[in-house]
Amino acid sequence: MIRKLLLSFALLPLLAGCDMFDSHPYDGQITGDKGINAKNIARIEAACAGKTSIKFVSMGDSQRWYDETEEFVHALNERDDIDFVIHAGDLTDFGATEEFMWMRDIMNGLNVPYVALLGNHDCLANGQDIFHTIFGPENFSFKAGNVNFICLNTNALEFDYSHPVPDFEFIENERDRQQPEQSKTVFAMHVRPYSEQFNNNIARVFQSVIKGFPNLQFCINGHDHHIQADDLFNDGVMYYGSASIEKKSYIVYTITPNNQYTYEVVYY
Amino acid sequence: MKLFTTNTKIILFAFFVLLVGTAKVSAQRVIRDTVHIITDSIKPNGEKNYRAGWGVLIPEYAKIQYAGSMALISVGGGWDYGKNKHWETDVFVGFLPHYSTSKNKITFTVKQNYIPWRITAGPRFTIEPLTTGLYLNSIWGRDFWVAEPEKYPNSYYAFSSKIRINVFAGQRVTYNFEKQRDFFRSASFFYEVSTNDLYLLSAVKNSYLKPKDYLVLSLGVKLQMF
Repeated sequence: MIRKLLLSFALLPLLAGCDMFDSHPYDGQITGDKGINAKNIARIEAACAGKTSIKFVSMGDSQRWYDETEEFVHALNERDDIDFVIHAGDLTDFGATEEFMWMRDIMNGLNVPYVALLGNHDCLANGQDIFHTIFGPENFSFKAGNVNFICLNTNALEFDYSHPVPDFEFIENERDRQQPEQSKTVFAMHVRPYSEQFNNNIARVFQSVIKGFPNLQFCINGHDHHIQADDLFNDGVMYYGSASIEKKSYIVYTITPNNQYTYEVVYY
Repeated sequence: MKLFTTNTKIILFAFFVLLVGTAKVSAQRVIRDTVHIITDSIKPNGEKNYRAGWGVLIPEYAKIQYAGSMALISVGGGWDYGKNKHWETDVFVGFLPHYSTSKNKITFTVKQNYIPWRITAGPRFTIEPLTTGLYLNSIWGRDFWVAEPEKYPNSYYAFSSKIRINVFAGQRVTYNFEKQRDFFRSASFFYEVSTNDLYLLSAVKNSYLKPKDYLVLSLGVKLQMF
């Protein structure tokens, strides 16, 4: 009897599985898929090569809304007209390691490739290190057909000037690397100019630099948790903001050859 | 040749004053409290009682705990008290390797345990079918704050990345060593299931997260010294 009792006692933690031994919410112990942005960029560039018509989705601010994000994945997998998805940042609420992995596992359920931007919540504690390992660098770019997508960390408030945000060196290098095949440009960022997170001292400088890119179509952002469509600088450059995933919506953009684009807010 | 230099004289005088002073104090103590001092520091069997006076601050046991959202390995000690020693308070220092982050980290944990029952199982074993309580964990490093820095607008994040509150329930089995044989009187092996404020907040309103996501396991050893 005693032996039986002791045996069942000892077996209990073993049955529960080793995954459950958590060192710390901020331990940075990452299991499963890593370097997601680079892998998915390779898929996007391969699938869109030579295309002059691109259809993509922006969504984001999915922090702590796991069920709603899962519903988004199911809703998007129902369609077959989307080339890729941009997650506009704030994958996590607390920057905890597990949060990044939970969100990654849900987003990995998408049939189409996706890239994730760094949100301000993703910078909390050591979140930026986790983002770097699971998704990749905070600034990156990719080519989808004839459109160049430039994705930036704009969460200046999180960095105390210790780190260039937005990184103009990166932006200028991107401008120098432009290929003639990519005749159009889209900028993606978590936080748009004039947000409390943005380095607003350089908002106009930022705008004039990004306007130097070939045929700037528009900018997309997240952060404000509601749908936005604003000509922030009254210069014809539109900033489109996706709502938080809690609102169960996403934006579909279609960039067509005759130098036009359309966008559509979809509720699911 | 002078036998004593001035300095030596001063030292000798100071030593004399100290000696007289001490003698005076101990004389008073002997008169007032002789019996008390002997019974407090020497046990009836003649062993020295390390836990007399300030000695009560010496932890009664050592604990080593693995995982449990405290650190990779936490080492500490604590005190048991109350009727039938139902309560235990532990203090831990933990080590957290950097993994995919840039720095190794140190954590600090204060843990309050409640052990309502003890079942004797054979001559050497005791089973504690339930251990429960909570612990506060603090992680050291520049990236972690108790209250958000002033640069943020009010209640911008409204949580502390440094302090975690955890709740746990577990079980324990104790092996009692033969008396007078070992430095440790008993060794207990335990496991715990716990969760913390961040995981609980994530779990509410999300059926996607299952118990295996927001519950955490840990294993530990307690070595009783006193």
